[in-house]
Parts: sequence; structure tokens; C-alpha cells
Amino acid sequence: MPFQQEATTPPDQPLSGCRVVERSRTVAAAYAGRLLAAMGADVLMLEPPTGSPLRRAPPFVDETAAGEQGAESALFAYLSLRKRSLVCDTGDAAGRALQARELARADILIDDTPVRERAAAGLAPQEIAERHPQLVHLSVLPFGASGPKADWDGEEINLMHAGGEGFLLPNGLSNELFPERAPLKIYGHFAGYQAGSLAVTSALAAWWAVPEAGGQFVDVSVQDAMLAVGAFALQRLGDGSLEHRTTRSFRYGGVFRTLDGYLELLTLEDRQWGALVELLGRPDWATGDAMRDPLERSRRGDWINGHIREWMARHSVEDIVRRAQELGVPAAKYRSPMEVSQGEHERARGLFTEATLPDGRAVEVLVAPFQFRCTPLKGGGRVPALGEEAKETTR
Amino acid sequence: MTSRLADPISSAVPAQRAYAPATRARAPLAGVRIADFTIHAAGPFATHMLSQLGAQCIKIESLSRPDAFRKPHAVYGRMQAATFDQVSANKLSVRLNLKQPEAVALAKRIVALSDIAAESFRPGVMKRLGLGFEALREAKSDIVLLSLSSCGQSGPDSHFAGYAPLFGAWGGLGWMSGYGDGPPVEMRHVMDHAAGMHATAATLAALHQRRRTGRAQHVDLAAREVASAMIGDALVQASRGHEPQRPGNGDLAMAPHGVYPTAEPDRWLTLAVRDDAEWLSLLRVLDREDFARDARFVDAAARGRHAAALDALLAEWLAARPADATAARLQQAGVCAHVSWNMQDMADDRHLRERGALVEVSADDIPRRLAVGAPARFSRTDDVGIRRLTPALGQDEDYVFGELLGLDSASRADLERREVIL
Repeated sequence: MPFQQEATTPPDQPLSGCRVVERSRTVAAAYAGRLLAAMGADVLMLEPPTGSPLRRAPPFVDETAAGEQGAESALFAYLSLRKRSLVCDTGDAAGRALQARELARADILIDDTPVRERAAAGLAPQEIAERHPQLVHLSVLPFGASGPKADWDGEEINLMHAGGEGFLLPNGLSNELFPERAPLKIYGHFAGYQAGSLAVTSALAAWWAVPEAGGQFVDVSVQDAMLAVGAFALQRLGDGSLEHRTTRSFRYGGVFRTLDGYLELLTLEDRQWGALVELLGRPDWATGDAMRDPLERSRRGDWINGHIREWMARHSVEDIVRRAQELGVPAAKYRSPMEVSQGEHERARGLFTEATLPDGRAVEVLVAPFQFRCTPLKGGGRVPALGEEAKETTR
Repeated sequence: MTSRLADPISSAVPAQRAYAPATRARAPLAGVRIADFTIHAAGPFATHMLSQLGAQCIKIESLSRPDAFRKPHAVYGRMQAATFDQVSANKLSVRLNLKQPEAVALAKRIVALSDIAAESFRPGVMKRLGLGFEALREAKSDIVLLSLSSCGQSGPDSHFAGYAPLFGAWGGLGWMSGYGDGPPVEMRHVMDHAAGMHATAATLAALHQRRRTGRAQHVDLAAREVASAMIGDALVQASRGHEPQRPGNGDLAMAPHGVYPTAEPDRWLTLAVRDDAEWLSLLRVLDREDFARDARFVDAAARGRHAAALDALLAEWLAARPADATAARLQQAGVCAHVSWNMQDMADDRHLRERGALVEVSADDIPRRLAVGAPARFSRTDDVGIRRLTPALGQDEDYVFGELLGLDSASRADLERREVIL
């Protein structure tokens, strides 16, 4: 086995022994490193002397501290848990030598340096391949490292729309209420997270092939990742339908305002419709013969939703959800971050762990969006201060 | 079904009728086999991704419980089975009626020959079928089992079933998405596939763990937790007692930042200006350098304070400009800009085609159409992507039941007669 056991990582983690060097300034690349770190890889961030720009990216742990010097980024805290940090200035020869030393020990290099800056930073793919033939060089860029738009840059809002999903949002109730408004992105860094996740898959696949094929360059694009998760809209195009946010809402169901919160309701199958009719108390409008036909229900979607809205507005969301679950009606409360953070289900599953910020304060951070039931992921850990690893002592 | 996979630029070329496994040196996951029990969208997406990377994926289903794409779907106005289903592409199909113990035994024999088993039933269903993790581990001592579900294999809500919009609602992503003065937003298929994408990553990590330790693993992915992972920063804030607000298209550090109308109807331009240099470049491209010294916009903090005024100005400045040409000029000037693309724009994009992210496919009964191709580009193991299209039900039983399991034709006929293979 070519893997070296890390002192800091328990031996029973999925990626124990995997050594990763991360050069990141984007969420996509940092999230790739974060997922690897969560699964037990030893992830070393090589940061410029000024630190990763993500250290200064909103939102901040304390909203009131936004914009203040030294404010702790909640985004960076989330993305950097259990990583290590080493300052490495590739603008000078010593920095590049330090980088080469770390790469010589690494299995995977995560790199979101723009293509045109790579050679100067000692990160040209050809050079990396020659010097580190067993290394997986994982490139994560907005539009990838090759193709006519490889030099294009993009932030989340650009990439969400370059990937096709932005144009389709919002659908349903939001679009109905504000039909003239501009399309809307999904909160946060959804596109970046998809690319980060895809990057992990791609890097682990390449690493799997190292015994046969050696190391290689792997080119991941945020736009490609959004297209991949948006594949259904492309499939619909192939079927002859160009989707649009005004028309892709479900014929009935969707987002409802209740007495005390918002609820999602979706009945795609006949038996679920039957259960919904029960939930609503078998009203006359829902029990006629015509309503037994799914196609007829689709045709009367707006009319059905009108009735459901009227009923929802008179009931409490928790009551509706409880009864819906008993009856087999797919329904869920739209929960706020606070509700998720305090959720009984999340607590029971150990979704969050306490983490220490560079300034010593404690926050809770989501461990990972998956579990390994035979060898549970390790909780706890720190968000590294800039350059906390002294150059001469890095492992 | 004879499928043809077209080179993205040149004309279509015929592909083999029989299953042609990827070669070890050419596809990163060649040699990895998956026993695939997943249904609907999220689970099949995960195994589809692995198949694009070279894994051989055996889809196990039955006539009595076919997967969703094999049925009409009123919601999408589809009155018959889908002829093309992206997430089923590349897969081999066999029929097994898992209500019968003999079929379960055969499924276990497939698992015994596999590296990964994957399922996306409601928690408990696999165990009831006799295919729970312990049973599969008996069949294959080092099996990696992926269980993908709405709410996970444990916890008080684990029995809840749901769809993508519910994952988004439970997980908090729906709440955080939306106009600041409007309701939450419903997540659609991207949410399913995001769950699948994360499941793929975790499954491969478990495979590496198996290579190192020789032990089995059970990966438990809850789709709602993937939705929560998409608001990981907001959850850090919530843990400190702050209730984050829905930012809509706004950004706390960048202004201008948003989606703006252009001269063309429903053709929007997205913009993100990160610093003063980019702001000045934007003004140059839009011929509004007269605003360079406007005190309201002199630095990022000032622009942030006057974001609403800035948005109004941008809408005015862009109202007479063509969307695509303006985006290209802004990119040349170093400003992050892109048109809000619909799927036809994506389909027509040369960049995506040259990357192989978009490929043309066709088959005898499927006119040329586009599909999502290789998820990433690999410099050495470059045989990644779509190898064949949606399989017909039971299409690969000669290979799986005959070659892999060694069942002769008389045995298979008998199993069909007794509806074990159904």
C-alpha cells in the first residue's frame, strides 16, 4: 500500500492517508478540498501571504462585523474545517520550491489558478506531470481549462446562468408573484458546490487509476457541472420542450403559504393525490369523477391550487405536515437555517460538529452531506489561521 | 437497440450493439462493477456518473416495478415511456422480480461479482427484500453499499419520502433562495442530481477505503442534508444565533452584482464586479467613464451602500445593448459577465461541445439529440462519457445471467416461466 498514515487523521476514515495540496481562491476548488478533508484526507492549503480571498468573503460569522478588519467569514469557516494552512508565495523562487516540496508528497493537487497564470506559478500541467508523475493534478475552473472559453471568468451568479439553471428560476409561486422580475439564482454557491463535488469524484477516479495509468491532469468546469445536474432540462429539449421559468412549475402543488410558514406539497402519483384529498377533508371540489383522471387534474392545475391555497392559509404548517406524513402526502415545511441548525433529525444524525475559529471562538459546522456507517466521520476540528503551519515543520 | 454516439462536431458514428466494457488503461473506473438498484433521479444519476467514468453498471429492475422513465408521466405531458433517459444511459439492464426469494438470491450473486451496490429506496425496503447491508456483506465481504434516500438511514424523519422540492424545503436551501420580499423557492431536478453528485464522491471514497482496508462500507446519503450543505455558511451563522436573510441576487461584497435586462426581450445579462479595477473596466466598456469619480461608487464599500441605485443605472445603461456581444466585451475587459442562457443556448454552444460536456447521440428509434457527456476531461484515462443509450428492459441478460452468472438458457427460460425473471 503506498499510503502513509497521518498522525492527525484517524486510520479508519475513508480517505486516511490521502494527501492533498490545495491552491484555491474559488468556492468550487475549496469545497472539493473540504469534502476530501471531511472524509479523512490531509488537506494542506497553500495560501498567498495575504491569505485566501475566501477568508474575506461574506457572509460573516457575526453579521455586525461585516466589512471589519479581521471579521471571520462564515463561508471560509465552512469551507476550511480540518484543513491546514501554509503560506506559500509562488511569486518568488523560494515559494515555488516550497510548493514543489509539498507536491512531491501529495496524491492530489487541487488547482484553480487561471490558465494564463499557471506557468508563472509553477503550475503548468506539463511541468507538474514531468516533476510529479504520480500526482493527480485536478484543475477546477469556471469554464474549464480547455475550450474556446477557458479564459472566461465567472462568479457564482454568472455560472448559475451559464449552466442553464439560472434562467429557469424562480419557478412556481415566486414567479407567479413577480413575473416581471429578473431571474434569480439559488442561494449561495450552488454551482460552485456541484463543481467541487464533481471535482472530488473526478480526482478520486483518477487516483483510483494511478496504479495502472500513473498521475494525470483532470479538467473540471463549473459550467459543465451545472449542465450535468441540469441534464433533465437538456433531456426535455431533446423531447421538444424548451423549458422556461414561467411554465415549468408543477401543474398543482408547489409552495404554499400557511397560517404560520411556507410549505412544499407535491403529489406526483395517484395514491398521493388520494391521500391529499383526505388531508383536505374530502371537499366536494376534489371528489368528483373528473378529478380521478391525472390528466384532467393537470388541466385544472390552477383551479386546484386555488382551492389548496385557501385551505392552507387556514392551517398551521406543523399540523399540516404531521397529518400529511401520516397519510402519505409528500409535504415539507420550508425550514429556516435556524430551524435546520436546531433540527431534531439533524441532531440525532450528528450533522453538525463544534469547530474552533482562528480567533478561538466556537461555531457549529455541518460535518458532511453523507455518512459512512461502518467508520463514522470524525467530528470537531479547527478552521486554520493563516500560515499556522511553519514552513520547516510541515509534515 | 443499436446506438450511435456522434462526435460532437463531426457526423454520427455507429457504436457496438453488444456491451463493450471500458478498457483498464483508458477509463479511470474500468473494471469497477456496480449492482444498481436505484430508481427515479438522484440514485440513478450517481451510478450514471460512475458509468461515465468507466464503471460497468448493471441496472436491476422488473416489469412489475419498472423505473419511472419507463412509464408515462402526466406532469411532463409524456404519454408514453421516455425514449431517452440520461441517467439510465450507459447502463446494462436485467429483470429480477425481487418479490421472489430466488430473484433475491440471483441479485445477491450479482452483488457478489460487484464492487459497489447502490439503492435509493425508502430506508428499510432493501432489508425487507433480504438485501440489507448485512445480507449484501454476506454475499460480498467487502461490498460498498450506497444508500441514497430523502432523510437518511437513521433519525426520527428517516421514514419520510420525498422529491427534490421537499429536500430543498427540509434542508433550508429553499428558504434561503428567493426574492428578499417573496416566498421560498422550489428546487427542481438540480437538487436530485446534486444529491447524486455528492453520493458519487462519497462512494468513490469508500471504494478507496476498501482498497486500503479490504473492508465493506455503507454510505448513507440523505438528500436533504445535501440541501443543507448548500447553505453551510448560513448554518454557521445560525449556530451563533443569527438568522440569515434571503439575499436574492444580491451579494454582500460585490456591487454591481445581479441579473440585468438588455435590449433583447427575456435576454438577461449577469454581472459580478469584484473590485475597483473591474468597476472601471465596466464603465469603459459601457462608455460611462463619467461615473468613475462619482462618490457613491468610488470603492466597493460605497458601491455596496448604493447597490440599489447602481442596479437602476445598470438597467438603464444596458437597456439598449445586445446581451451576447456585451458579455463578450466585458469578459475581454476582465469583468465577470455572462448571458442568462436557456437550454437552446447551451445546446448551440461550441465551448461545451468541444469539451465533450455536450454530445450528440442517436439510435435506431432515437433521432439525433443532445446528451450530457463526459463530466470531466482526463489527460490519460480519457475513455470517459456515454457509451450506449437507455437500455431496453432486460436487454443485457445474455451477458449478465449467461456469461457472468453462468445460467444456461434452459434455466433462464424456467426462471422466466416462474416469473423470477420478470
